[in-house]
Amino acid sequence: MSEKLEKTYVWDPVVRILHWALVIAFFTAFGLGKFGPDQMTLHFYAGYAVAGIVALRVIWGFVGFSTARFANFVKGPGTVVTYARTLPSPKPSRSFGHNPVGAIFVVGVLIVLAMQVLTGMLSDPEDYINMGPLAQYVSIETARQALSYHEPLSFLLLLMIAGHIGAIFWYKKRKGENLIKPMVTGYAELPPRETPAE
Amino acid sequence: MRKLILSTVIAATAATTAATGAFAQSPSDIAKARRAFYTLVGFEMATLGGMAQGKIDYDADIASQSAKDIMTLTGYTTADLFAPGTSNEDLPGETRAKADIWADMPGVQEKGMAFYQAVVELNEVAGDGLDALRPAVGKLGGTCKACHDDYRAADF
Repeated sequence: MSEKLEKTYVWDPVVRILHWALVIAFFTAFGLGKFGPDQMTLHFYAGYAVAGIVALRVIWGFVGFSTARFANFVKGPGTVVTYARTLPSPKPSRSFGHNPVGAIFVVGVLIVLAMQVLTGMLSDPEDYINMGPLAQYVSIETARQALSYHEPLSFLLLLMIAGHIGAIFWYKKRKGENLIKPMVTGYAELPPRETPAE
Repeated sequence: MRKLILSTVIAATAATTAATGAFAQSPSDIAKARRAFYTLVGFEMATLGGMAQGKIDYDADIASQSAKDIMTLTGYTTADLFAPGTSNEDLPGETRAKADIWADMPGVQEKGMAFYQAVVELNEVAGDGLDALRPAVGKLGGTCKACHDDYRAADF
C-alpha cells in the first residue's frame, strides 16, 4: 500500500482529559456503588465527577475544537449506514475524529450517563444516609422509580463500554488502526487533509 | 434485649416450618403490618438522619428519644411479619420484600443483628452531641442499606 500518512492533530487536550477522567470517575463510581462501603459518600463524589465531566463534554461539543463538536461528527442515517457497511472490511477507516457509527456511541453514552447521574441524584434508598441530593424535591414514588433504574443503567453502561472497547480491538486487529494512542497523544496517522483543522 | 432478638430468630425459624397465629390474617394484612413496622423505624431514622446531615438542628433530647424508640422497636417480634407467602412475588405491588428473604433466613437474621448492634451503639452516643451522633447514624443507616440491597426490591 502506497498510502501517504502524516501526523495529524485529531483530539484536543480537553477531549482527551475528559475521556480518561471519565474512565476513572465511572469505574470509581461503579466499583463503589457495587462493592463499596454502605455509607456511600465516596460514590456520591464519583457520581458528581461524572456529572461534571458529562456537562463539560456537552459544552465542549458546541464550542470546542472541530473534532469535538457534535455538528461536525453527528451524521444522518444514510452516512451512518454507508459507513457501517465498511466496518467488516480490513480497509483502514482513516477517520478524522469520530466516525459516523462512533458518533452514535458518543451521543448515546453521554445520554445514558446523564440519565445515570439524574436517577442517582433522585434516588431515595430509604436508609436515611444515602439519599440523592434531589430526592427531597420529588415524591417518594419518583425517588423509588429512580432507584429502580439506577442499577440497571449501570449495567447498560458496562455493556456500552464493552462495545466501545470491542470496537477499538476490532479496528486494531482487522483494520490495523490504533485508536488508543491518539486519545493519549492527540495525534493520529492520517492521509494529508485538503483543509487543515480549524 | 439480646434474648428478644434470639427469640425472634427462633420464632422466625418456627414460622417457616409451622403455622402460627399470624396465619389467621391474610398475607396482605401481614405485608401491610410489616411495612407499618418499617415505617416506624424510618420515621425515627428520618429525624436522626436529618440531624446527622444538618437538615434538622441537633437536639440531644430528641436524638436520644428517637434512638430509644428504635431500640424499643428492636424488641418487637417481627417473625410473624415475615410469614411465608408474603413476598413481592406473592403480593405484587403490595410489598418490596424479595422471596430471597425466605430462601435465606439466616442471612436476614445476620443483617438484623448488625442493625441491632448499630442501634445499641447509637443509643450510647445519641445524646453526646452531633459529632458523636453522626458516625453512629451513618453506621445504622449502613445496616439499613445492607439489608435493602439483598432483600428488598428497589420499587414495587
